[in-house]
Amino acid sequence: MGEGARAVWAIAAKDLAIEWRTKTAFVSALAFAVLVLAVLYFARDPTAVASLDVAPGALWVTFSFAAMLGLNRAFLLEQENRALDGVLLSGVPRPAVFLGKMLANLVFVGAVELVSVPLFILFYDVPLWHRVPELLGVTAMATLSFVAVGTLLSAMAVRTRFAELMLPLLLLPFLVPPVVGAVQVTARILAQRPLSEVAGWLKLLAAFDIVFLFLAIFLFEATLEE
Amino acid sequence: MSAAGADFAPVGDRRPLIAAEGVWRFFGGRAVLRDVTLVAGAGEVVLLLGPNGAGKTTLLRVLAGLLRPSRGKVERRGRVGMVAHHSMLYDALTAEENLRFFARLRGVEPERAGELLARVGLEPRARQRVASFSRGMVQRLAIGCALLGDPEILLLDEPLSGLDEVSVGTLLELLRESRGRGRAVLVASHQFAELVEVVTSVAYLGGGRLLAWEPRGERGGAAIWDRYREVLSGG
Repeated sequence: MGEGARAVWAIAAKDLAIEWRTKTAFVSALAFAVLVLAVLYFARDPTAVASLDVAPGALWVTFSFAAMLGLNRAFLLEQENRALDGVLLSGVPRPAVFLGKMLANLVFVGAVELVSVPLFILFYDVPLWHRVPELLGVTAMATLSFVAVGTLLSAMAVRTRFAELMLPLLLLPFLVPPVVGAVQVTARILAQRPLSEVAGWLKLLAAFDIVFLFLAIFLFEATLEE
Repeated sequence: MSAAGADFAPVGDRRPLIAAEGVWRFFGGRAVLRDVTLVAGAGEVVLLLGPNGAGKTTLLRVLAGLLRPSRGKVERRGRVGMVAHHSMLYDALTAEENLRFFARLRGVEPERAGELLARVGLEPRARQRVASFSRGMVQRLAIGCALLGDPEILLLDEPLSGLDEVSVGTLLELLRESRGRGRAVLVASHQFAELVEVVTSVAYLGGGRLLAWEPRGERGGAAIWDRYREVLSGG
């Protein structure tokens, strides 16, 4: 394993070990997911609105806002005792630090999504099992988008006085394109429609992934400057 | 001896392992370091003295590469180990996990963690979380962490803070060893009386400037204290 890859893995494993031990962000994200799914379910009048019409939006509101709780914690962890200074002193390449943090965030958000999906099926009774690969694909694409941007913005926000308030403010505008795209694609998947109907949204999601992943890696170093 | 340090070669002509040349550092338009030039070669232990706000911590952070100089340049020839005001450790991890994590990042065998824990007297506490440690234990672990990978350059900011007499003795022994093995050490401390015997030169900082930089010679703690007051009062 190369030096950079070893560092990426070590940083991600460390973050996940800390989260596994404390479970603070995961429990908060899960509680939030249950709450949102339940509130949106009970707010709907089933005689007026079909569950399929609400389900994609409910799913992505849940995923994206629950993820934010984990993203917020990513760099707060490093601020404690200025542990990030120790990481930087180790001579680890800056992009490896970013990728390590992002990998841990992806696993965290993936775990929240994995636990939220059965609840989503329970509440909305949607035919999900027929098109699992497509749903996994769009989830992976949208999650990568907002985790890449979220990890970068979390590194920026943590240096501000109101870090936990700043991240949602900074991240929300960037969440719009991937979340709207993911809702559109998910709606077609749940309605058993062909993906060709949303080819444009899929291209947008792919472009967002590529552009923001590289941009985030490139800009990360600037967020470390005091 | 000039503060600029151009004519200063504390240990012969040995190539410096770390050098700051004409370093300035601004924070929001305020100069915290002003034209500081300082070098440390193999086997040198430079004591940084100065009142609060003199720029010692900022200088050490610039030397470590954690801050960029606004002007001037810093050169390092080797890896850096640092003990800072903050422990740079993760409270939720155990002592051993912290050392193993930083060992992995530095490409050091994780087994070295056990040796260093024994060295700083924390082996019996290896599996305890840092959150449960006292201030002195955290400091000892931070010192162990700074020594991971046997770095050529050691930067120590108030390393005696919170240490008991036994731990101070261990630190002095480590510093003596580092000096003997050709490491360059810069140490900022207000408790310099304990450190004096291992120090090779003393740099006096005030208002972000290097006011004087002299070999320690035969001076003891009291003589350095007198000189410190003299330098600060413009002598």
